Amino acid sequence: MKNNILLEVQDIQTFIGQFHILQGVNVQVPEGSIVALLGRNGAGKTTTLKSILGLTPPKEGKVVFSGTEIQGRRSYEIADMGIGYVPEHRAIFQDLSVLENLRIAEREKGDLEKKEELIFSLFPDLKRLIMLPGTNLSGGQQQMLAVARALVPDNELLLIDEPSEGLAPVLIEEMMDAIQQLSAETTVLLVEQNFIVASRLAENYVIIEEGHSAKSGKMADLINDQETIRRYLEAA
Amino acid sequence: MENTITEQNGISLFFKNNLGILITILCLILMPFVISLIDGQSIPSLLANESGQSKFYQGLAIEIFILAVFALSYDLLFGFTGLLSFGHAMFFGVGAYLTGIMLKSFGWTLLPILALLVLAGILMALIFSIVLPRVKGITFALVTLGIAQVFYIVIQSREMADYAGAEIGLQGVTPPEFLNPIEHRLRFYYIGLVILFAVYFLYKRFVDSPTGHVCVAIRENEDRATMLGYNTFYFKLAALTISGITATLAGGIHGIYNPIIRPAIASSHFTIAALLMILIGGIGTLSGALIGAAVFKLLSFFLEKWFGGASQVLIGLVYILLVLFLPYGIVGTIRARSFRWKQGWQRWMKILRFKQPS
Amino acid sequence: MKPLLGSFRKNRTLWITLCALIIIFTLGARGLVDNEAVGGERYQDVVITILRGFSTGSIIFLVASGFSIIFGLMNVLNMAHGALFMIGAYVGWTVFVRPDTAVDALVPILLLAGGFFLIPLWDRLLNKLKMPSWLMKTWPWLGLILASVVLIFTLPKYPITSWDVGSYQISPTNYAFAASQGQLVTPEPKQFLGISPLLGLGGILLGGLLAGITVAGFVISRRPATAGTSEGKAFPWETLSLFLAIAILGLVIHYYNTPISNFLLGLDSTLLFILAILVAVGTGALIGILVETTMIRPLYETHIYVLMLTLGVQSIIIEIVRSAWGSPEFTMHRPSIFAGTGEGCPAESLGAILKNNCSTIRVLGGRVRTYNELFIPLLGIVVLVAVWLLLQRTRLGMIVRAGVQDSEMVEALGINVQKIFTTVFALGVGLAAMGGVIGAPSTGLTTTLGDSLLINMLVALAIGGLTSYPGSAAGALIVGLLQQFVIKYGQIGINIPFMEEPFKPTPPLVPALTVFLMVIILLVMPQGLFGRKE
Repeated sequence: MKNNILLEVQDIQTFIGQFHILQGVNVQVPEGSIVALLGRNGAGKTTTLKSILGLTPPKEGKVVFSGTEIQGRRSYEIADMGIGYVPEHRAIFQDLSVLENLRIAEREKGDLEKKEELIFSLFPDLKRLIMLPGTNLSGGQQQMLAVARALVPDNELLLIDEPSEGLAPVLIEEMMDAIQQLSAETTVLLVEQNFIVASRLAENYVIIEEGHSAKSGKMADLINDQETIRRYLEAA
Repeated sequence: MENTITEQNGISLFFKNNLGILITILCLILMPFVISLIDGQSIPSLLANESGQSKFYQGLAIEIFILAVFALSYDLLFGFTGLLSFGHAMFFGVGAYLTGIMLKSFGWTLLPILALLVLAGILMALIFSIVLPRVKGITFALVTLGIAQVFYIVIQSREMADYAGAEIGLQGVTPPEFLNPIEHRLRFYYIGLVILFAVYFLYKRFVDSPTGHVCVAIRENEDRATMLGYNTFYFKLAALTISGITATLAGGIHGIYNPIIRPAIASSHFTIAALLMILIGGIGTLSGALIGAAVFKLLSFFLEKWFGGASQVLIGLVYILLVLFLPYGIVGTIRARSFRWKQGWQRWMKILRFKQPS
Repeated sequence: MKPLLGSFRKNRTLWITLCALIIIFTLGARGLVDNEAVGGERYQDVVITILRGFSTGSIIFLVASGFSIIFGLMNVLNMAHGALFMIGAYVGWTVFVRPDTAVDALVPILLLAGGFFLIPLWDRLLNKLKMPSWLMKTWPWLGLILASVVLIFTLPKYPITSWDVGSYQISPTNYAFAASQGQLVTPEPKQFLGISPLLGLGGILLGGLLAGITVAGFVISRRPATAGTSEGKAFPWETLSLFLAIAILGLVIHYYNTPISNFLLGLDSTLLFILAILVAVGTGALIGILVETTMIRPLYETHIYVLMLTLGVQSIIIEIVRSAWGSPEFTMHRPSIFAGTGEGCPAESLGAILKNNCSTIRVLGGRVRTYNELFIPLLGIVVLVAVWLLLQRTRLGMIVRAGVQDSEMVEALGINVQKIFTTVFALGVGLAAMGGVIGAPSTGLTTTLGDSLLINMLVALAIGGLTSYPGSAAGALIVGLLQQFVIKYGQIGINIPFMEEPFKPTPPLVPALTVFLMVIILLVMPQGLFGRKE
């Protein structure tokens, strides 16, 4: 099971305006696992996620998702194939209520009803807040809503960008528990600045440095590899 | 860096950097004579301002010069500082009408009018800047549009008809004798040329100065400029004032040159024409404003001549095609091409040296 | 008590706006009531002025609401909105006074449109063909040239009952007057000019087909080579049947032109008015779809160019209107249910309006025009509520509200945002076109109609907050009221202390004052009344 590669990113090159942001990123995500993208600020981790989803379409390279090449397709088509996206900075829709925020993610009518139990067992807070507008939620609740939104349709792969960013330690624990539970059912590609969080969640890692993937392997090996950590991850 | 360059190098560098512009100036200086040669007109008759092809094209060129000064001022405001104003035509209109009214109804001479125009430009820039600290982006555009629209309506009102001539426009302005656009067209042509390139080089100086760099920084990211410790309001006000004075002066020349000052020059369409000119030429490039003004004027002139009433539709179509197919303007497209070409060259060199990119 | 305070805190701007409106009302009203020059009938002036303000506000709102939703969702400042309002007015007016012309024009439009509906089919066929790339690149241009040649030869030959814009005798205005007197003009059978009907109709149809193929070719050549195509999908039968239905409809209308025209000419003007509204909304929506898909879509990233583009569209539309309808001003009659002047008019009660179709109603001893001062505001409120329900209660509305904040994220959820954009654009333009027809009987038709409306609309939006829906309503209402009060004062004058003559604001001061109000409001609240703080 774990040998099945669900998502493979092959040497993608992405430009934003005239800037060459990604200059050859390779990522392999085995089915059912959690892979963490590591690297310093501005290395291109978020752009990698956006390139997979076609929000910043790669100019060259391939993105293969469960056997089909998806690069160059429109974002909504890619998402429709079963990829959920949790953007950074808790990008929920402020004007919509919690329920509407979940409802909008439905791909077919009734998706939410099917997943209701799972979502509310992971994030019991949301049930209480269901009719509140998004603006009135706290930072942690917004982050939970953002993750919950990606769970509404049947997604095979979740792209999660900085889930622990700006959260209180207690909430980070809660968020980590939720992601751990999720990984039992879906595959997760995680961008994480917080190395402790990433090392506890992920099985594999890919380090991105200045727009290209510099190193990848098992998380268990990385934890002991102080040299690599110092070179790529500590503040310069 | 500039300190290390000696005086002589500075001059040669100047010639090197501005080669295109200097050649253009030379061509423009020679243009009346060349046209008269082609037309078969003798040089003395040209110098005596007798009518002919040359005189006609001088007139067209003067109109282009005026538009180019106006486009330059708009480029400084929008292209370099990023302030989208829809009321820029008000500066031009005030310049033209003030000059006309002062000459016709009050009999002022040129020098006091010049001082008045500068004052008026500063004053209007201050009016526009009332909302500047609080309002950004598109809302600023709407506010300026509103203010300019009021001026446009007032200038056409019956109450002002004695001075401004209501909808028909201001007629019967006698220009000063030595600047009469009909009798001394050639002189007017060269004065216009000098003014245009004086403005161009002053603007170039401003854009390359530290203040100009801050203006560009404001365009790129105002918050970052603020965080770097600049009070962005003063820089925006400076750009607005300089651009406002220039546009007012351009309006003044228009007022002297044109027999009728029409209210249309104060309408929002005229601002949009300026925006169009710098879009055609390339936003944020001073030479683009010059090229854009020339293309715009020639295009609308010849389309009008060939197609008459249908020309407006054609001009609209040309706008749309330009925007769709030449999105960075003429100068911008040329620059982008050369930029890519250079990058490709560098990659090629890397392969030749078998050197790994570090 | 506590929930009341809470709601007050939550809807602060709403209450502030309401208070401001009430102050404007009372100040304006007091000024009118206290004014010596008015004489006996005072209160009715206040009421009528307020109603007129609502009426002007309603028209502004119809245009502004679409504009603001489009701006919020797509970040496109559609400067052509005023011109589209105008084209709505002209199209509606044509349907209203010369339905036979409208029927004539329908045939070539339908035949042409048919070809475009086949685009998905061509897309599929061309994908299967797998042509060499140079052919892929050149043949759409060839198709374009062919289509233009065919259309240039056939389209002008199509006999559309038209009028000489310079001559009053055969102008529609004159016709409409004759028709209202009971002298019906019978349209003559349509003949092609110079070519056989078969060739003409076939040529137009062929031109439409060629244009459709061309568009499909451009779409394919723009698409990245590796992108997914419609391979897996079933054969697009529905597009084929749609094409057939439209083409056959066009032919049927061509051959039964005279009876259809006669039927429409004989219709009651109220029904014609409803038809005019529908046709105008449809035309507006079609133009919206066309402009959005072909011009705005490739340029979403560069906003300033979209702005320029819409300005170009605006000038083209104005010129087209000028050449098709001419520059003389037209007036439009009110539909029959608002035009009655006979027995029982002016009506004494609301019931009497419906019974006698009165053009005016007596309120507080004064006369209020039913169309201008009752029907238009009512319609404005209906549209306000309808669009609000659409935004709050439907999935489309939910997506729009979400997209206003972050359309990229909406796309990442698997929603085709471009489709939503096109729908919203079409809806917004349709609303503006509807405003054009509704406003035409009170404002008349000129080619500068759009310009003045655009300014009013922009001021209203700046006051209300650019992307806020309630803001667009509040702004439109404030601008409408202010204008009407200033116009009223222009007629009667204001007594200002230390001045002997009453001060009369002149018409130029009307826009000046609204702009002044806008500047003040923006100084106090830079985001407008309802705008979101950045």
